[in-house]
Amino acid sequence: MSRTALRVRDLQASIGGLAILKGVDLEVPFGEVHAIMGPNGSGKSTLCHVLAGKPGYEVSGAVAVDGVSIVDLDVHERARAGLFQALQYPVSIPGLDLAVLLEEAAVSLGVGPEEARERIATQARRLGMERFLGRSVNGDLSGGEKKRSEVFQLAVLEPRVMVLDEIDSGLDIDSVREVAGAVEEMRSDEVAVLMITHYSRILNYIRPDRVHIMMDGAIVDSGGPEIADELEDGGYSAVRSRLGIAAPKAPSKTATVSDFFTDTPFDL
Amino acid sequence: MSIGDEPARLAGLRDRGRQALASAAMPGPKDEDWKYVDIDFVLDDFRPAPEPSGDLGRDEYLEALGEVSGGLTMVDGAVVDVEAGEIEIHRPVEVPDGRAAGLYGTMVSPEVDVFAAAHHAMAPPGAVVTIPAGRTLGAPVVVDIQAVTAGAVSFPHLTVVGGPDSEASVVVLYRSAPGADLLVSPIVETLVGRGARLSVSVVQNLSDPARMVAHHQFVTGRDSTLRIAEVGLGGLYARQRLGISLAGLGSSVQMGGIYFGDGSQVLDYRIYVTHQGPRTTSDIFLKGAVADDARAVWTGLMRIEKGAVGTSAFETNRNLVLSDGAKVNSVPNLEILTDDLQCGHGSSSGPLDEQQLYYLMSRGLPRNPAERLLVRGFFNEILSGFTVPELAAPSRRAVAAKFAGAQQRAAS
Repeated sequence: MSRTALRVRDLQASIGGLAILKGVDLEVPFGEVHAIMGPNGSGKSTLCHVLAGKPGYEVSGAVAVDGVSIVDLDVHERARAGLFQALQYPVSIPGLDLAVLLEEAAVSLGVGPEEARERIATQARRLGMERFLGRSVNGDLSGGEKKRSEVFQLAVLEPRVMVLDEIDSGLDIDSVREVAGAVEEMRSDEVAVLMITHYSRILNYIRPDRVHIMMDGAIVDSGGPEIADELEDGGYSAVRSRLGIAAPKAPSKTATVSDFFTDTPFDL
Repeated sequence: MSIGDEPARLAGLRDRGRQALASAAMPGPKDEDWKYVDIDFVLDDFRPAPEPSGDLGRDEYLEALGEVSGGLTMVDGAVVDVEAGEIEIHRPVEVPDGRAAGLYGTMVSPEVDVFAAAHHAMAPPGAVVTIPAGRTLGAPVVVDIQAVTAGAVSFPHLTVVGGPDSEASVVVLYRSAPGADLLVSPIVETLVGRGARLSVSVVQNLSDPARMVAHHQFVTGRDSTLRIAEVGLGGLYARQRLGISLAGLGSSVQMGGIYFGDGSQVLDYRIYVTHQGPRTTSDIFLKGAVADDARAVWTGLMRIEKGAVGTSAFETNRNLVLSDGAKVNSVPNLEILTDDLQCGHGSSSGPLDEQQLYYLMSRGLPRNPAERLLVRGFFNEILSGFTVPELAAPSRRAVAAKFAGAQQRAAS
């Protein structure tokens, strides 16, 4: 097996005293694509945010990229370590052109300005993003265009670990195919992909090497792509009954405002 | 020209100014028009500006503008250089007979405040810039208003007339000698003639210790279109009292402006839009940011008079508050005397959006450059719409430099 790109050990995270990740263990080698699947509220998006270093969570455990611990790093330092995230709900930034953002980002990652412009032009051509370069970041984009823009940005910034949060959500089938194709093209021995999804649909286009099932803040099962097929057929209840996990109870504590926000598409 | 030689009409204005000045007091925060600011100087702190000597040379804005259709330079209120080019530029006593001849000095009353009074009492002869009727200018007209003498107060006076059916852009650039503690109290009065399309861009790029109390007044004629661009950068205290009277039927004004305060700057905008004519349209949009201990004040009063039926009036002010020590007062107001109109106003002030910052940082940008990109984007909405696009790049650079300085100070 090749070098480990992303290693996660006993990762726990809570927000406002509410535990969301309860000990996640994960290893993704370079060259592989891993999918994390799980029902709503299982902590998948939180895992993405915590890996990327989003402020607001109390975090414990270990996260390393290519053997280097990133758990104490700031958001941008994790990107510099090679970990990039495609967000589920990319925020729009009026007035800031996509090309300007990408050039500044690439330059701050140590790419020369000339090469940065070249990379942007090349990838934009490849992914059909030219007409978005002079437009503001995620401004007036359809759901599919936003996801394509996320993948395009990663293609320019050349991650070593790509974390894709629901890159297929809200997309029609053609857009899923397009976005998946772009991700497939970025597969290489130098890149590890961690893909979060709650539908197996996208796995028809990006074939994962491993599939992990996440429930209630932890990985409960891992295996080959056949696990996704089991999900497709029997849903999460089939997985639960095979593993002897009780169906989720109603939350024991009264829902708080932060509970609402963790599940809302506003992605606060 | 000496003040003593003025013809009766100008001498009459001068007398009115002297009388107003004799009874005027320095404004205080209790005066409605001066609420939210505490003026820490008096007129008498500054002596009248002497005869002009020397000028400031070129600056970044003048370089960016390149070719012009004409213009003039004022130093400490006195006209020192005139290049008429494709327009007409007259001294107030020389304006040929016609509708605009009696306009000079009439649009801002000396009774408005002590600064307007002092202006009328003491201003040397200014200039009347006329865009001839029917003329369309390719390049902008540039009025370079400089204040150079430390410790002095100067009173530049500019009257702009957009002749009927003319089309032109006028850039008014305020600047002052680096490090000079001085006061400049200009009046710029603008008449947009029938069917004229006039754009007036005001760039306030004074140096740090300068103070400014400006009165800008616009009147629009029938079916005319006025565009106003504002850039507020410099000055320890920089105030603009800006009045727009939409007098002519079917006339419209669209204003877009930016300002950025840092250090202990106070940027003070008082905007009065009056809809007098029927079917008049206004759209006022200012965006500002304050860092360090800077302060911004924006008050916008839109008054829709009884006869102004079919009016559309909108004003918006948005502010970024970039430090704990910075402060904004943003107060929109409406006074509606008719019932056939569309109007709206909006105002907001707050810090940079944390979600946007997170997004940019997740692309590898450290916090400070990410913040600078957000500020750039914030202002871009206005700058990209400037009718004189050459003003955008130097403004963008100036804002970036000011914000980078504030970030450095915050870090140390």
